[in-house]
Amino acid sequence: MNNYDVIVVGSGLLGLSTAYHAQKSGARVLVIDRGSVAYEASSRATGYLSLRADDPDEAPLAGMAEKLWDTLDEELGYPTEWTQKGRLWVAFSDKQVEELKGTYKAFTRADFGFELIDADACRKLIPILSPETRAGLYTPRSGHANPQRVSQAFAWAFQDHGGTILEHTPVYSVIEEAGKVKGVKTKSGDLYAERVVLCAGGYNAKLLEPFGVLFPVATVRLEALVTTPLPPMYEVGFIGLNGLSIRQTRRGNLHANGGPHEWVDVDADSEPNKPNTPIVRNLVRRMIEAFPVAKGAQLLRTWAGVLDITRDQKTIIHRFDHPEGLLVAAGAGHGFGMAPAIGIAMSELTLNGATNAPIKGLGLERFSTLSPNWKAEKQWHAGSYNT
Amino acid sequence: MSGKRIVIVGASRLGCEFALAARAAGHEVALVDEHPQELKNMSFDAPYFYGSGLPASLSDETAAFDNVLSSNEPLLECVENEVDVKVGVVAWGAFHNAANSQHIGTPKVGVVSREGNELLEYDALVLATGSRDFVPSFKGWELPGVLGGKAATKLLVSYQCFNGSNCLVLGTTSLAVEFARAARERGLDIAGFVEPTSAFRAGQADEAWAREQGIPIHFESVILEASGTDKVSSATVVRLDGEDDKSEVTCDTICVAIAELPNIELPAAMGCGLEFAEAIPAWVPILDANFQTTVPDVYWVSTFNDVDDQVARALAAIDGDESRSAVQQKRTAEGTNPAEYINLWVSKLSETGGTGVILCQCETVTRGEFLDLQPPRYLKSGLRHPHDAVTGGDVGPKISQDLLKRMTRVGMGHCQGKRCRDEAAILLSQRFGVPLKDIKPGSYRFPVRPIDMALIAAEDDDYHTREKWPHWMHEEVVPESVAGSAQR
Ligand SMILES: Cc1cc2nc3c(=O)[nH]c(=O)nc-3n(C[C@H](O)[C@H](O)[C@H](O)COP(=O)(O)OP(=O)(O)OC[C@H]3O[C@@H](n4cnc5c(N)ncnc54)[C@H](O)[C@@H]3O)c2cc1C
Repeated sequence: MNNYDVIVVGSGLLGLSTAYHAQKSGARVLVIDRGSVAYEASSRATGYLSLRADDPDEAPLAGMAEKLWDTLDEELGYPTEWTQKGRLWVAFSDKQVEELKGTYKAFTRADFGFELIDADACRKLIPILSPETRAGLYTPRSGHANPQRVSQAFAWAFQDHGGTILEHTPVYSVIEEAGKVKGVKTKSGDLYAERVVLCAGGYNAKLLEPFGVLFPVATVRLEALVTTPLPPMYEVGFIGLNGLSIRQTRRGNLHANGGPHEWVDVDADSEPNKPNTPIVRNLVRRMIEAFPVAKGAQLLRTWAGVLDITRDQKTIIHRFDHPEGLLVAAGAGHGFGMAPAIGIAMSELTLNGATNAPIKGLGLERFSTLSPNWKAEKQWHAGSYNT
Repeated sequence: MSGKRIVIVGASRLGCEFALAARAAGHEVALVDEHPQELKNMSFDAPYFYGSGLPASLSDETAAFDNVLSSNEPLLECVENEVDVKVGVVAWGAFHNAANSQHIGTPKVGVVSREGNELLEYDALVLATGSRDFVPSFKGWELPGVLGGKAATKLLVSYQCFNGSNCLVLGTTSLAVEFARAARERGLDIAGFVEPTSAFRAGQADEAWAREQGIPIHFESVILEASGTDKVSSATVVRLDGEDDKSEVTCDTICVAIAELPNIELPAAMGCGLEFAEAIPAWVPILDANFQTTVPDVYWVSTFNDVDDQVARALAAIDGDESRSAVQQKRTAEGTNPAEYINLWVSKLSETGGTGVILCQCETVTRGEFLDLQPPRYLKSGLRHPHDAVTGGDVGPKISQDLLKRMTRVGMGHCQGKRCRDEAAILLSQRFGVPLKDIKPGSYRFPVRPIDMALIAAEDDDYHTREKWPHWMHEEVVPESVAGSAQR
C-alpha cells in the first residue's frame, strides 16, 4: 500500500536536496509542503556558503558542499548563479578589528586558508569599500548563488528524475506502528512510506514531540533587501562586522541581510507571517556606511524570512533508531550553503542507513543534557527580540 | 470630539473629501500625496505609466508644485482647513503589530520626501490610493511617446507639461475620452481611436463628440506596432477581421487608455487581506461594511467601491459610531466589465503581435521567454527540460506568479512590476487556461516605490541600535570549549 519509498516533509532546500539525491538513486520519493515549493527560508536567504572553520565537526561537510557547488549547474541542469570568489569579513573600527582577530583565531581550527589582510588588500577585493575600512579576514574559498534559482533548480531536477511534489498540504504528524514509521498524516489524508525525512524547518520540533524528542531549534524572523541594479563591482561575499552581509547579484543588485531578529512560533496550517519593519531603514544606513556608492542606488525591495536556528548554531543530521525509518535535518541558519552536502548525507542515511559524508558529531546525541527551558534561558522564545 | 490622528494617503477626490470631513469632525489630519513626483521617480512609471518620453520641463520643480497644487481645488481647500498637507511625499510602507512582529508599538506609516524620511504615527489610516494605468505590451511600446491614459491626463491637466501634439488613443473607454477631450481643449490633435470591438465603449454621446471633432475611429482593430527612431512617429493599426488590412497612422504620442486598475500595493504589502474582484479584474482589499480592511484601523476608500457614502461611513467607524447598516460591497460600476475588455485587448495583441514582443521592459524579457519560463538572457543559459508554470494540484493556487517572477525576472525590475504584472497574469491565464483568480499574484513589498537610498536611510539610528546591532546570528564564534572534536 506504499505509494512511495520515501516521504520528505518540507520543500525547502534541505528537503529538495535530500529528495533529489534519493530519487536519483532509484527510490520513489514524495515531497510534501504546507505552501509553495521553496517559499520559505531557502529562497529568502542571502545565498552564501558559510565556510566557517570555527567548528571542526561541521567544517568537513562545508568543504564537501563547496566541491558540489562548483559543478551544481551541470548536475541539476539549471543555472544557480554560483560564483566562487571567496569571502571577506571587514572591520570598520578598532573594536571590530579586535573582534576580527578573535574570529581569525577560531577560524584556524579548520584549514580553509583564512588570512588577516589590511585595508588596501580589502579594497582590491571590493573597490567600493568605505574609507573607514580597517582590516579584513579573507578566504579565497567559497562563494554565493541565487537562492531562488537554486531552490527551483533542485525542485525541477527532482521532477526530471520522476519525483513528486505535493504543495499546499500541511503535514500534522508522523504515523508510527510497532516501532516503525508508516507514513504521515496530512490535511488531505494519510500518505504512506516506510521512510520519512523531516525537513520542515522550525516545525520539525513539533513533529518530533510525540516521540519524546526535544528537538533544539528556535524559529526567527529576519529582514533583507535589494537595491536597484548597479554596474558589476565585486564578487566576493562581503560580511561586515557592522552586522550586514551584502552580496552583489549577477544582475547587479546589492542584496543585504542582517540586523535585529524576532523569535517566533510556527504552526502546521499557515504560512508564517513575516512582515518587514522600519528597521530596513537602519539596514540601508549601514549599507551606505559600508559602501558609500550605495547612496546612488534606490531601495527596490524588502522582504523577511523565517528560519530555524539550532541551539549551538550547527547543522543537525540525525537518523533515529526508534522509530525506525525516521530522519531529521536542520540547517541552523546556514543551511542554504550546506544543502548540497546535507542532501547527499540524508539521502544515503535514508536509503542505506549509513553515509560516507563527514557527519560525525552532527547528530542529536550532542544535546543529551539540554535543559527543557533552553529557549527561554537563551531568550530565543517567541516574542523575544534581539537588538 | 475624539481628536484622533488620521493619516490619509492619496489626495484624490475621495482622499481630500475625507480629509475635510475628518477636520470638520475635529481630528488631527495629515494628507500625503506623492505628486508632484520627482522626474526621476516618474521614470519608474509609478503609479502611472508615463513612458520614457517625459517632458524636460518637469524638472522645474517650482513650476511643477505650483501647477499640481493649483489644479487640485479640493487639496487647496484642505490646506485652508488646516489639514497637514504633505505633497511630493511618498508613503512607502506601513507598520503595525501583527503575528511575528510584536515590537512596532504605535502603528505608523513611513513617508519619504525630497528631504528625507519620517514615521507618522496614526490612530486611523485611510488609503485613498486611487488607480493606475493598465498598459499591455505591443511592439515598440518602449518608445518615448507611448504612455498610459491616467499618465497622459495627469501630465496635461495637473502638471501642465505635455510633449506630444498629435495623439493616437488606444481604447474608447471613458478614460480615453477624458484624455481626448482634455487634449482637444488644449489644442492638441487626436490622430484617432483604436477599438478592437465594433462599439464605442464610452457610449453614444462620446462617440458623437469624436465624430463631430473629425477624429477617425478604427473599429475592430488593434495596434500592431509603434514606430520611430528616437520617439514615436507613427503607429501601424491592423484590422482584426482577417483581411490583411494595415494602416499607418502618423502620430507623436500613443495614449493607452484601455483600463485603469486599483492601486493596492500599500494595503497588499502591509498585510491587508485581499479578494479577487472578477469584473475589474483585480485583487482588492477585503472590507467590512465601513470600509475597514482586515488590518485594524486601516480603511480603503476607492472609486472601485461603488458606494456613495464611503467617506461618511468610514469616518463614523473611526469615531466609534458604527450604527449604520451594512452595505453590500459592489466593485466597479454597474454594466461595465473592464475584465472582458482587458482580456480582449491582451489576446488580440498577442495574436497579432506574437511571442517576440518585449513584455518586461526593465529586464528585457519577451512574452515567449516569459511563458516558457526561460532564464534571463544575461545568464546565457537554458533549461535542461521544459517546465511549465502550472504547479498546483487540487488545493491552493494553480500558478504562483512569484515563481515566474523569480525564474524569468518579469516583475523584478526597477518598475517593481508596475508595468507588466497584470498583463503577465493575464497571459498566463490565457496560455494555461487557468482563471485569473487561481493565479497567486506576485507579492507586493515595501517600499512601494523605488526610493533613493540616501533618503530612506534611518537618521534615528540610536545608540542602542548601533551598539547592540547583532551580527548574523553569531554573536561570537563557536567557543573553544564547545567546538566539535571530530578532527582533533
Ligand atoms: C534572510 C535570510 C538570510 C539567510 N542567509 C543565508 C546564507 O547566506 N547562507 C546560508 O547558508 N543560509 C542562509 N540562511 C538560512 C537558510 O535559508 C536556511 O538555513 C535554509 O534555507 C534551511 O532550509 P530548510 O529546507 O531547512 O528550510 P525552509 O526553506 O524553511 O523549508 C522548510 C519547508 O518546510 C515546510 N513546512 C514546515 N512545516 C510544515 C508542515 N507541518 N507540513 C508541511 N510542510 C511544512 C515549509 O513550508 C518550508 O517550505 C538565511 C535565511 C534567511 C531568512
